[in-house]
Amino acid sequence: MSATTSIAVPRLPGADDLPPGHGVHEHRSRRRDRRTFWALAAPGLLGLAVTYLLPLLYMVRMAFNRGKPDGFIEQTFTLDTLIKPLTDSYYWKVTLDTFLMGLVVAAICVVISYPLALFLTRSTSRYKSLLIALAIAPLLTSAVVRTYGWMVILGGAGLVNSTLMHLGLVTVPLRLTNNMTGVVIGLVEIFMPYAILVMMSGFGRLDPRLEEAAASLGARPRAVFARITLPLTLPALLSAFLLIFVLSISSFITTNLLGGGAVHVLATEIYDQATGLLNWPFAAALSVILLVLFGVVIAIYQTVTRRLRLDA
Amino acid sequence: MSTPKLALVDLTKRYQPGLAPAVDHLNMEVEEGHLVALLGPSGCGKTTTLRMVAGLMDPTAGRIVVDGEDITSIPVHRRGMGMVFQSYALFPHMNVAANVAFGLRMRRLPKSERLERVRRALDMVQLGYLAERETKALSGGQQQRIALARALVVEPTLLLLDEPLSNLDAKLRESMRGEIRAIQQRTGATTLFVTHDQDEALDMADRIAVMNGGLIEQFGEPSEVYERPRTRFVAEFIGRANLLDATVVADRGPSGADERRYDVQVPGFGAVGAVGAPGLTGATRTMLVRPHRVQVHCDPGASGSPGTVESVSYTGDSVGYRVRVGDRAQLAEAPTDGRIAAPGDVVRLDWDPASAYLLPEEEER
Repeated sequence: MSATTSIAVPRLPGADDLPPGHGVHEHRSRRRDRRTFWALAAPGLLGLAVTYLLPLLYMVRMAFNRGKPDGFIEQTFTLDTLIKPLTDSYYWKVTLDTFLMGLVVAAICVVISYPLALFLTRSTSRYKSLLIALAIAPLLTSAVVRTYGWMVILGGAGLVNSTLMHLGLVTVPLRLTNNMTGVVIGLVEIFMPYAILVMMSGFGRLDPRLEEAAASLGARPRAVFARITLPLTLPALLSAFLLIFVLSISSFITTNLLGGGAVHVLATEIYDQATGLLNWPFAAALSVILLVLFGVVIAIYQTVTRRLRLDA
Repeated sequence: MSTPKLALVDLTKRYQPGLAPAVDHLNMEVEEGHLVALLGPSGCGKTTTLRMVAGLMDPTAGRIVVDGEDITSIPVHRRGMGMVFQSYALFPHMNVAANVAFGLRMRRLPKSERLERVRRALDMVQLGYLAERETKALSGGQQQRIALARALVVEPTLLLLDEPLSNLDAKLRESMRGEIRAIQQRTGATTLFVTHDQDEALDMADRIAVMNGGLIEQFGEPSEVYERPRTRFVAEFIGRANLLDATVVADRGPSGADERRYDVQVPGFGAVGAVGAPGLTGATRTMLVRPHRVQVHCDPGASGSPGTVESVSYTGDSVGYRVRVGDRAQLAEAPTDGRIAAPGDVVRLDWDPASAYLLPEEEER
């Protein structure tokens, strides 16, 4: 027969393709790998230890001190400061509000960003990169400036209210600032570029051929989405959710400005305690609660992704 | 002839106005149970054609008719086609059995029947023991067979294969050819098979459609396409070819059905014999001689046209020569049992006149 000119592509490695171990030799090279790993990781780890771990330990230590009414810090070792917010129903409510705000902002943000990220990933338009740049362009402006923008738009005489009143849809301006509504609207918009970026980078796994294969096997568009698109994009969706949740419960500027002092979440309470009342130990205790909240949510996230076998 | 299983009528796809169409007024009829290869170089429109038949792409013009029924405007999920993709496109979040069951699930088949049919489909590709495995852990050949089972389990109106073998290594590709062909014949599934590999097409297909520039250059049985190519493109794309300019001198009578033997004049070779369609006397045509039909004589006293050996490639089964005759190099493939010539040797080339074919005049394009 005549010669074929096609190029052989190696088949995907399966479990049985892995080379057998080489005993001592393998052991030695693995030890060398480990040494290289530590050598390369050391500068970064040292930097993190100095700039992150030490201050964190200092903060945790601070939570065991006692703040005195005159603003002085009593160096001691007590559980009183940590226990105080746990016995005060006000701080339980603040913690719960913080948690709920994080969930609501993350949920709305992810739901709005998901179709955009999906569209941007799939687009074959020549304007694709321009569209992506536009989607993340808000990051070029500081969150403070954007927050002031939202205060203007959402205010009593702002764009939204004046439009609604001109159209006769409302007679009294809606209260959209200085409350949780304003904070949620502002945070959702400010975090959308992050959600879009995280999801787009995670959608790489979504091969359009998979959706075509499902359609050819008789799946209607809705079934293709429910059985193929959504399950395959769920990991990226969950990572975006986690990121936005963490960013919103720790956000301070937007919460403070759009909340106008009427929204009390852990971040604003910590700020008030630390700078207003100069009660550093109590601010540290609230920070520890916030950290625990992070920890709980990350643990839930890990369990969920592992349960769903989505980690691959 | 009865109604064809599939008929493409003036099928056209133009991706952008102003640009040359990817598929240009393509007409083709496929008989029930046949495996038809769409063969051509990349960009010839073969995959576009397949995707239009699958319903994954809308034609710009023309019709797709299956069993006499126009399905051009029926959406992909209601066409009942079974498609196998080049990348297999197995669903990574489902195990092997769930992948195969997907089409049956979409058809809302009862669970017991679903399980039974999945089992039978996996047995057919001899991978029943992998039912509960994750698809990522499978080798390329296994993934390929699962994809085939997934497409066949729904008893598709047409089986559509898009370069199904090109991601496999050479050895596996060859055994999969036979396996796909056997399964196709056992199920009787009418199949469209896209490939750029002429060996694959010759080996597996009942009919080959050789495509070039959005058009079918020739549609016929493998031997017909190989022995009696309609155009220069087909002659060169399928197998290796010596193409010579021949002036037809005289008609020497009939040769088989519908063909005549001719005396022709070929630069460098002088007067030689060839066969071709009737009525070619006096015309100039391209003459095709396949390299393995060229006889190479090392004995200087032998008949034939003298030429100088430029290169020799020994493959064990045969020896390939490049021989310069006049100002052009010709290819020859000889058995290894005789004397093997060396580069620089003068050899004589000739061939049985019945194996030199005068191509029909090419249409203006």
